[in-house]
Amino acid sequence: MAKYIPLVWAGLWRKPARTIFTFCSIAVAFVLFGIMSGVDAGFAHILEVSRADRLFTDPRFGAPMPISFGERIARVPGVTAVAPRWGMVTYYRDPKNGMGVIGTDERFYATRPELSISKQQLETLRHTRTGAAVGVFLAKKYGWKVGDKVPLQSNTVTREGSRAWTFDIVAIVEDVDNPGLEGRFVANYEYLDEERVANKGMADRFILRIDQPNRAAQISREIDKLFANSASPTRTQSEKSQRESGVQAIGDVSFFTKSVIGAVLFMLLVLTGNTMMQSVRERIPEFAVLKTLGFSDKGVLGLVLAESVVLCALAALLGLTVAKAAIPLLQASFPDLPKFIDMPWAAILTGFGVALLVAFASGLVPALRVKRLNVVDALAGR
Amino acid sequence: MNVLKQLRAVTLMGLRNIPSRLGASLVVVICMACVVGVVISILSMSTGFMRTVHNTGRSDRAIVLSQGALFPFASSISRDNAMTIADAPGIKRTSDGKPIVSADAMAFVAVSKKSDGLDAFVLLRGIGPQGFALKPEIKLIGGRMFKAAAHELIVGKSAQAEFEGFAVGNKVALPDGDWTVTGSFESNGSAQESEMIADSATLLSAMRTNAYKSMSVMLDSPASFDAFKTALTSNPMLAVDVSRETDFFARQSKPLNDFLTLTAYVVGGIMGLGAMFGALNTMYSAVSARTVEIATLRAIGFGAGAVVSSVFAEALLLAFVGSLIGAALAWFAFNGNLHAVGGLVFTLAVTPSLIALGIAFACALGFVGGLFPAIRAARLPVATALRAT
Repeated sequence: MAKYIPLVWAGLWRKPARTIFTFCSIAVAFVLFGIMSGVDAGFAHILEVSRADRLFTDPRFGAPMPISFGERIARVPGVTAVAPRWGMVTYYRDPKNGMGVIGTDERFYATRPELSISKQQLETLRHTRTGAAVGVFLAKKYGWKVGDKVPLQSNTVTREGSRAWTFDIVAIVEDVDNPGLEGRFVANYEYLDEERVANKGMADRFILRIDQPNRAAQISREIDKLFANSASPTRTQSEKSQRESGVQAIGDVSFFTKSVIGAVLFMLLVLTGNTMMQSVRERIPEFAVLKTLGFSDKGVLGLVLAESVVLCALAALLGLTVAKAAIPLLQASFPDLPKFIDMPWAAILTGFGVALLVAFASGLVPALRVKRLNVVDALAGR
Repeated sequence: MNVLKQLRAVTLMGLRNIPSRLGASLVVVICMACVVGVVISILSMSTGFMRTVHNTGRSDRAIVLSQGALFPFASSISRDNAMTIADAPGIKRTSDGKPIVSADAMAFVAVSKKSDGLDAFVLLRGIGPQGFALKPEIKLIGGRMFKAAAHELIVGKSAQAEFEGFAVGNKVALPDGDWTVTGSFESNGSAQESEMIADSATLLSAMRTNAYKSMSVMLDSPASFDAFKTALTSNPMLAVDVSRETDFFARQSKPLNDFLTLTAYVVGGIMGLGAMFGALNTMYSAVSARTVEIATLRAIGFGAGAVVSSVFAEALLLAFVGSLIGAALAWFAFNGNLHAVGGLVFTLAVTPSLIALGIAFACALGFVGGLFPAIRAARLPVATALRAT
């Protein structure tokens, strides 16, 4: 087999311009293929790491809920942890550096076990009224270290009538499900609630964990029933179903990526198919000579297919490599989003599979033509 | 022979020869169709979205939110403040002297989409007594108007089309029990058509709250905005942000619009690059297939310009035809489709300017694809080329 490689290679480079242009087209198409499957995999990852055993109790009609709801929710059978939350919109130094401050307490970490925080850090957070645990992403972005004092501007007015809030960083937290991307700014609910003037004693969400994920729907219903006739009816949902709706709300991501991939592959098939047809048409007499020299029908068929495969595989390799390298850059340009592009090795394998399919599909017709070639007619130029 | 005549003759000759190179020519057409189809489809989303946003804001209306609130739902305006704002200068008044303003109360209702059953949130906006004078574009198209004191509401036609349970006569679960849908409205294609409307006082009492979310006012004229804004921001009793409606909605819609446009350009740019290489390939092979023909033309006195233009004409024509096919496909597949992002429903729009953009993009790719082959055609050494068979 190996001795035919120079023959295949020479066939490819018969018209260098054509091969190079086709090669570039295929490579470019696989860059897009890689990025699109990356987006697909990224959204799949978001759903995959979202948990069915974590529920969110939100206000049904948007009015905040009294913090006392938390105790009643905790008494519902199956609920193992409840944390109140109040989100405050702030920015650091420049309004462009917007960030949400989460006012909650240590129970928050019981509902989010994927966040790494030590017992000691929790203890410090509890004893530091103005303490805050920030995600690694934020810490890196703004160069914060444990012990730093961070002034934030907020839309929430303090008792002194100011909009400036100061926090002391006591811990830097990593999310094992999304390494390097944890971007929460977690502060003490007590501090926020004591300092603010409006919405005192209110929470905008309760985060809870339950013991059995398959009872999520039932527990949600029980909780909502508790508050159905209160001033602020609730709506409880698992993180998983909320994320599913959320991903859908951006638009049908998988329909979009699949359509683009479909269009690109179609384009690719046409391009490569044309190149192979042209190349074979020009070399009919050469193939006739090969057959005269004793190459079998299957042998020449193999030669043409091998050319097609080598061209597609090498181009796909380049394209997928570029995509793999470009993905961290793309992800970095949308720092506020969770890991929405993610290219697992499986996607690269799929890409190679697709490249082989394209190679066979576009090489088959010309290869069959060469296989059926009648030597006498071809040499006579008929 | 004059230059124009030469151009015409050679260009037509080249074009008439396309059928003999049909396979390679189709490659350019198909590639351009794919690129333009994808780009226009993505952009039809942002065009439709921006059209809806554009229909929503008027430059002679202003929206008031509490200071620092980025969107109405994060805002809170007390009844006292609402009265102060209504007395500010620059506000248009009705014939009987009432200021045309509306202090809005808001609630969100979780609904499911008809298409896939997934959750979305629809806004119920409680409007004041002058609410319809403020928004004259709202027209009842079915059923009857809600009664102010009753638990009744009307629903926008986009919301009605996209979400479950909004038929006239249906009950909607809201604070303080079920509310009846008494009618439906249209609003000149604005974002309002994705909302529900009820009476603000009734909604406030049902939600057991005292504060409005936002306040909208009709100005005497677009020019009175500055006077109105200054009056509010210089009043120490108020802590509010004032925006012209057009600016406000432009700001609100920017992130999504930017995202869609960026996606279209990234995807279109990458696909376009691929298609450009395809075009280069085709045009080089076209030139090499016409080597003898081109050399003959040069030998009998045709200029290099004529030859170059015939190659360009071919590349541009193929790209143009491809882009038309792509635009037509996008138009048939998506134009007029309803699409919901969150609770906002809008119609995908393949507009003439979008089609023009697609054609221009394809022609630009065709131009580059034709450029180098055209240069080669012009430089063919006549004597050697004539001997090449």
